[in-house]
Amino acid sequence: MRDEIRAVQAAMERSGYIAEPSIATAVFLAAEMKKPLLIEGDAGVGKTEIAKVLARLRDTELIRLQCYEGLDVQTALYEWDYPRQMLRVRLGEMEGQAAREIESVIYAPEYLLERPLLKAITRRERSPVLLVDEIDRADDGFEAFLLEVLSDFQVTIPELGTIRATHAPLVVLTSNRTREIGDALRRRCLYLYIEHPSLEKEVRIIRAKVPGAGERLAEEIGRFVQALRARQLLKVPGVAETIDWAQALVRLHREHLDLETVEQTLGCILKDRHDLSDLRGGGLAALVEEAAAVG
Amino acid sequence: MTGDLVAHVTAFGRVLRGRGLRVSLADGADAVEALALVDLGDRAETKRALVIALKIRPRDAAVFDALFDEFFAPGAAAPRERPAVAQVPLRPFGGLPGARLADADVERDVEEGDAPGYSPDASLRVKSFEACSAAELSALEAVLRRLVLRVATAKSRRLVPTRGRGRVDPRRSFRSAVATDGEFLRLARRARAVEEPRLVVLCDTSGSMDPHTRFLLAFLLALKKAARRAELFAFNTSLVRLTPWITPEKLKPTLERLAAAVPGWSGGTRIGGCLAEFVQRYRDEMVGSKTVVVIFSDGLDRGDTDDLARAMRAIRSRARRVVWLNPLLSDPRYEPTARGMAAALPFVDVLAPAHNLESLERLVTLVSSGPLRGPTDGRGSVARTSAPAPLAAPQSKVS
Repeated sequence: MRDEIRAVQAAMERSGYIAEPSIATAVFLAAEMKKPLLIEGDAGVGKTEIAKVLARLRDTELIRLQCYEGLDVQTALYEWDYPRQMLRVRLGEMEGQAAREIESVIYAPEYLLERPLLKAITRRERSPVLLVDEIDRADDGFEAFLLEVLSDFQVTIPELGTIRATHAPLVVLTSNRTREIGDALRRRCLYLYIEHPSLEKEVRIIRAKVPGAGERLAEEIGRFVQALRARQLLKVPGVAETIDWAQALVRLHREHLDLETVEQTLGCILKDRHDLSDLRGGGLAALVEEAAAVG
Repeated sequence: MTGDLVAHVTAFGRVLRGRGLRVSLADGADAVEALALVDLGDRAETKRALVIALKIRPRDAAVFDALFDEFFAPGAAAPRERPAVAQVPLRPFGGLPGARLADADVERDVEEGDAPGYSPDASLRVKSFEACSAAELSALEAVLRRLVLRVATAKSRRLVPTRGRGRVDPRRSFRSAVATDGEFLRLARRARAVEEPRLVVLCDTSGSMDPHTRFLLAFLLALKKAARRAELFAFNTSLVRLTPWITPEKLKPTLERLAAAVPGWSGGTRIGGCLAEFVQRYRDEMVGSKTVVVIFSDGLDRGDTDDLARAMRAIRSRARRVVWLNPLLSDPRYEPTARGMAAALPFVDVLAPAHNLESLERLVTLVSSGPLRGPTDGRGSVARTSAPAPLAAPQSKVS
């Protein structure tokens, strides 16, 4: 492994993110090649966290655009401050200004509300980290628009002209894969798929994130969740759920897993009715026993 | 950066494309750039960098792994470029010029085992497809357009300018008010956009479906034109994604590729296993709350019905609607009691016969009058619609 990649990995770990070689490599390449990084993976595997850690490491601002269905250009890029513009129009009228004159005043930068994408390209000091979160939730039309912004980091506002980034932001896009991201956007990015962590990594994450969890508890939780993921579930628990569960168990002062506790707290990790009833119907006792056996 | 590396990566990209992976030339350029930044002596790192730069999806990981091992074998001299599935020239239909030459190629490739599932049968199959006439296809396309509009079209939450009713659009309203000295003479409005339909179609190509193959193919081709973004799959004993191979504009190459890409046409069926594979590899990305999943099968399954029920539940839990088109339903004596069909039924929203143009036309009428226009009533409890009475009387038992 190249030293630079190893350094990225170590820095991320110091920042509280336990990164596999593939994650460190992707982060390194995205920064070197100055390309956006598209991260896919199941919910709760730590996609968003990468952008946060990156901003912390580079000691720069994190600008976040949360996507949702119906997200439009105005919400993502910029919006004029209508009420203030209207007020200015009325004032101008009282002072007897001509319409043209008023118009030139109200379409000035001070009436412009910057939304995340515009913010990301107008930072003067240094390049920020732009997180476009859950891009799969936005419409395809928005994807096409985003592609345009990402390709040359410039935005044209009809009333003001073209604004070009002085520092191109480091872009991280995440997707839960609820739909397929278009080929054009994918091509513009580098791509990282994050899988659920291995047992060893998951135990390390639990120990790092839930300091109250002892070695035995962390190992048993890890083994239990790993065995759970191997089953056919409708909703597979992510690391985020594992951490929630570990925190719950620590609050309950448990130092190891037992059937009763697991039954009571199973809702922390299984969030689908069918999965819960399937597991309660059979196999739960065996799973707990297996997770607790070695150790 | 050596020219060798560029040539090597380009060749690798070509092989990946041949196996149906969507790797573009731009991705290849990214890969070359990325490889210059990593330690090429470290095989694992080289591989990681390629996955990242070539944008290899998890569902393609297995194919990629195998090809990487072959292409970047440690100590290998010149890499051998293997002809990939899509590039295998197939036995053209009789009487075509150049048939002899191509024949020889096919024989050699088949001997090498490079075209999995290719058998002399495949070319016969292509022949039976050929009978699809252009007129037939366009009639089918027209019906499917109407059907897709009724079953799979959804409104987006995205708002677009409208002249009719809708929410007030302050941006455009203020803009036009400025021109009239700040007086709002008319409010601009926005309404919800209509989205492109999302469809996933899974077709049974096993032996028992043989009489319907021609219709099935015409159905797929016409559907691809009616709903550009439809994802198409075929299954019998294994699952094959057909989407990259089906291009209605180029009929002949489509047929040739299909014959080669679908292994074991007319073999047995493992519906449960194939649907489970679909769930595992494709569901997350392809099935969302706006997707209509269409399964075209007679439901005669020799596999495990538990698998089938589990897969159907997993599909139903994500999809907007599940439509099962069963050609056997056209037979008044048929009852959907075949083990496979019975296991799947609780997770099906619409069960309808489909074996010709006429039956699809009836389906259009059915879904436009039925309760399907609104959202289905939650997960699990299913608003199922039976076919109209004269079409399939025994079906009343289903609803």
